[in-house]
Amino acid sequence: MFSRWNWVACGFYLLLNICSPDASGGLVQSCGHIIPESPVLALGSNFTALCILNESCLDFGNIYANQIIWKIKNRLVPKEQYREINRTVSSVTFNDTSSLSTPLTCNILADGQIEQNIYGITVTVGLAPEKPKNLSCIVHQVSKLRYSMTCSWNPGRHTFLDTQFRLKYSWPQESFPDCIPKGVNNSCTVPDVQFFVNTEIWVEAANALGKAESDPLILDPVDIVKPLSPHNVSVSSGILPTVLKLSWENRISDAVMKLKFNIRYRIFGDPNWMEVPSEDTASPRTSFSVQGLRPYTEYVFSIRCMKEDGVGYWSDWSEEKTGITTEDKPSKGPPIWRIVDASHSPASWTVHLMWKALKPFEANGVILQYEVTVRDKSSLSSPLKKYNVTSTNYTLQLPNGTYEVTVIARNKVGTSPPSVLLIPASNSKAPVKNLITLPKHDKLWVGWTAPNSYVLKYVIEWCLVSSSADCIIEWQITPGDVQGIDLKGIKPFKCYLITVYPLYADGQGSGQSVKAYLKQDRPSKGPTVQTKKVGKAEAVLTWNHLTVDEQNGFIRNYTILYKTVDGNETVVTVDPSKTEYTLSSLSSDTLYTVRMMASTDNGSRSGPDFTFTTQKFGKGEIEAIVVPVCLAFLLIVLLGVLFCFNKRDLIKKHIWPIVPDPSKSNIAQWSPQVPAKHNFNSKDQMYPEGSFTDVSVVEVEADDKKSFSEQDLKPFDLLKKEKSTSEGHSSGIGGSSCMSSPRQSVSDSDEGETTQNTSSTVQYSTVVLNGYRDQTPVQVFSRSESTQPLLDSEERSEDHAGGGDSTAQRQQYFRQNGGQDETNTDRSCFERTKQITRANEGDLVGFVQLQISGQSSQPLGLGMEKNTQEAALSNVSQTSTEGQTMRPEAVEENPLSVDEMPKSYLPQTVRQGGYMPQ
Amino acid sequence: SPTGDSWGIFTFLCAALCNLPALPALNCSEELGAGQSIQQTYDLTRYLEHQLRTLAGTYLNYLGPPFNEPDFNPPRLARAERVPSATVDLDLWRGLTDNARLAANYRAYSRLLCYLRVLDGQVGTAELRHRLAHFCASLQGLVLSIGGKMDDFWLLKELQTWLWRSAKDFNRLKKKVPPAVVTLRLEARGF
Repeated sequence: MFSRWNWVACGFYLLLNICSPDASGGLVQSCGHIIPESPVLALGSNFTALCILNESCLDFGNIYANQIIWKIKNRLVPKEQYREINRTVSSVTFNDTSSLSTPLTCNILADGQIEQNIYGITVTVGLAPEKPKNLSCIVHQVSKLRYSMTCSWNPGRHTFLDTQFRLKYSWPQESFPDCIPKGVNNSCTVPDVQFFVNTEIWVEAANALGKAESDPLILDPVDIVKPLSPHNVSVSSGILPTVLKLSWENRISDAVMKLKFNIRYRIFGDPNWMEVPSEDTASPRTSFSVQGLRPYTEYVFSIRCMKEDGVGYWSDWSEEKTGITTEDKPSKGPPIWRIVDASHSPASWTVHLMWKALKPFEANGVILQYEVTVRDKSSLSSPLKKYNVTSTNYTLQLPNGTYEVTVIARNKVGTSPPSVLLIPASNSKAPVKNLITLPKHDKLWVGWTAPNSYVLKYVIEWCLVSSSADCIIEWQITPGDVQGIDLKGIKPFKCYLITVYPLYADGQGSGQSVKAYLKQDRPSKGPTVQTKKVGKAEAVLTWNHLTVDEQNGFIRNYTILYKTVDGNETVVTVDPSKTEYTLSSLSSDTLYTVRMMASTDNGSRSGPDFTFTTQKFGKGEIEAIVVPVCLAFLLIVLLGVLFCFNKRDLIKKHIWPIVPDPSKSNIAQWSPQVPAKHNFNSKDQMYPEGSFTDVSVVEVEADDKKSFSEQDLKPFDLLKKEKSTSEGHSSGIGGSSCMSSPRQSVSDSDEGETTQNTSSTVQYSTVVLNGYRDQTPVQVFSRSESTQPLLDSEERSEDHAGGGDSTAQRQQYFRQNGGQDETNTDRSCFERTKQITRANEGDLVGFVQLQISGQSSQPLGLGMEKNTQEAALSNVSQTSTEGQTMRPEAVEENPLSVDEMPKSYLPQTVRQGGYMPQ
Repeated sequence: SPTGDSWGIFTFLCAALCNLPALPALNCSEELGAGQSIQQTYDLTRYLEHQLRTLAGTYLNYLGPPFNEPDFNPPRLARAERVPSATVDLDLWRGLTDNARLAANYRAYSRLLCYLRVLDGQVGTAELRHRLAHFCASLQGLVLSIGGKMDDFWLLKELQTWLWRSAKDFNRLKKKVPPAVVTLRLEARGF
């Protein structure tokens, strides 16, 4: 060390001399030195160095101690720290060595300016070692006869210096060579150690600034031994199925120490170790029989040892060895349950027996087969049926009854106790009460209250309820004193149907079921809502329940949310059992958007939106308006008809004034051109000569049909009136539509009879025909004084009719009317009859005669009459087609007139307004 | 020959160690404190015996036949005569006082140890050398243990005698000095 720094210092010195611009030859040689040379200093202490100049240099270069300057590296040390001791010696003092660093140089200012290095030293700063603490030792057994002792300690603070640790140990009168750690400073291993002699052990730490020793440990190394674990462990099965014998070899001699042991074991595959009670293995041994094991189970063993008195350390656990216990007969019968299927035929059951394979610790070996015995309890004489089964289920066909089913498991060693199940006729006994479920982490706890009577066992059945798959039943049996069970393998968000049956000594109780979820979620979809019926202010909504797969939990309620386009949303909560709801107080004729939300405990989900529009009118509203209006109208019409009916004479008088009947005139009687007249002679004679006194001007307007009805009504009134005041109208207001003219003519003929008395003169009038709807009137002619032209005109009109198309159509129309509408014809006949009756009032005898003659007369002779009748008929027919209010009267009053209905042909000229010849 | 010496030592050691359990002093464990120490020494002798059994077997095997033959009995040479012999009559040994037996033990082990150390350098294999070194160290422990106990005994004995003497001396001096000077004398004692 010293030499190294010396070299550094020399090198540094040379470098300075070479670099010096004014290197005089005399200064090349060393002019002085520093004391102390290469000091090692304690951190924080003070330090003084002296620079001593050689006498030769003083003489040679006029160099004195007051010219000395000190430097640390290239940094000048402040002058305050210098002290000139004499001409050749200068000292520098540092109060704290932490400000020091290497090199510390002594320099001189030659010629007042030029700095020359005299000498340099290295300074090492560090700390003295601390006392090593926490010394502890352990003796490791390396082999059967070799033991090494490893001691470790806390070396204390870092010293910044090269510090040596030595582990020392000695006997009272004998020391051993020190143990020097290699590569570390906190532990050392002594390769060989002597037992049974108290040994003092301590650690010494030393560096340039001092040394320190730990507190000594005085111990017998045999008390800190960690032995090697026992080896060659072997496991052998004994005679008993619950015992395995463990053997091993110890690797430490009895002469060194006696051992005690720990034995641990576990079931193969199970990570949890069990331990043989330590007091059972507290003495030296090389084998041990582990008892209380399960039959036919693979066990893993491991062993460790330590000094018998417990002083020292446990060895490591030995290697693991496995062994299998021998088989034993099964400890219990398999749990058994059944599904009874009575659906195939009522008289017998299909019984699916099922049992669970015994757990390994119950089976105690390899189950070779199951023995199923079925005994009919209802008949003692029936023989036992035995079946040997290798699977864990069996299906039986049994007649209805009570059976005792026994299942026994058999392995190589023997048989299990029997498992008994009664298959009763019915589950009539008391069920469990208060069946509840509670989710516990990933398990579903099912709890119940026991029935009052003693229960042997409970059977818990459960299955996943799904709309897509059948409920596959899983089951489990618990002892009768248990009132709760954790179901494993339950999936979250799925509905499970759990049923608990109590099994009694003499039968089984009926099952109690509950539906449960391990964990609920919000439904996977919302209900789809639709309207069933939409009214003005209400709408009936309907929806389907979510399937069980979509529910993901118990549906606690449905929520209906509906709103108009711009209105607020209204929320209605609906009971989950409902599938229909009526929204009321809606606005009419409004578009509503409705959606529905299904909620479970863990959330809700909405279905799609549905829109509907409420109706403008409510149910029956239209009817309420229309029906009264119709009724009112009907009433008015009825009243009008009644009024008309009452005043028909008056109307008739006004509308159908009595027109003298030319046919009843004397002229007609003599007319040779009418042969029929001759046939009627007898009748004609009834009429007095010159009875027609009135002169009428008839202006016929063949306008639209409406006018007919009105015009038709008038004659009735007028006729009525005429009954009382006949003479007032006889002045010649015989004007009427051409349609009514035939009937008029009948009336006229009646009238004629009355007027015959007053006047015998017939006044001819001019008939002015307006064209139909502004058509040019077809015929205009004036009637002469003579009656002859009238007959001609009739003939002519007939001819004319035959030539005119339009008239032919009308004829057709009337004919259709007559044929199709019986009532019309009836009424018309009645009408006619009435008129006849009324006419009878005026001239009773004459009319009767006329009727009789009409019925009995020959067709030829009746021609005229027929014509007149039919004209009246067609007129009435037409009227009746327009307003049918008159019809009932007609039906009631004159049924017999059907026979009288004229079948003859009506001349078309009537329509044309042609004057009807009488 | 050295082999002959070694043989002699081993036979002696074996014989001596076989007699060790018979030592009344070492067997005594009635007193708790002494018992622990005696127990430790007893354990050490058992341990040495165990070591020697394997060591001797290994070494004789190393020598090879006829030395490893069970009944081989070579003649005792002059050097082997110097090895302390434990082949004394057992009744005669028991008839000796504890003092004599302890002294004989210590003397024998001390000398045996010296011979054993000579043997140490001659052993061929490293393993045997190691075992022999270990055995020597253990035997050294036994010698030190026995010697230590005797030293401790004499240390305490001498201390007791000296104290007894001192007490007598001071008692005599106390009678000579008048009572007035007692304080001064006590001060002087402080120095």
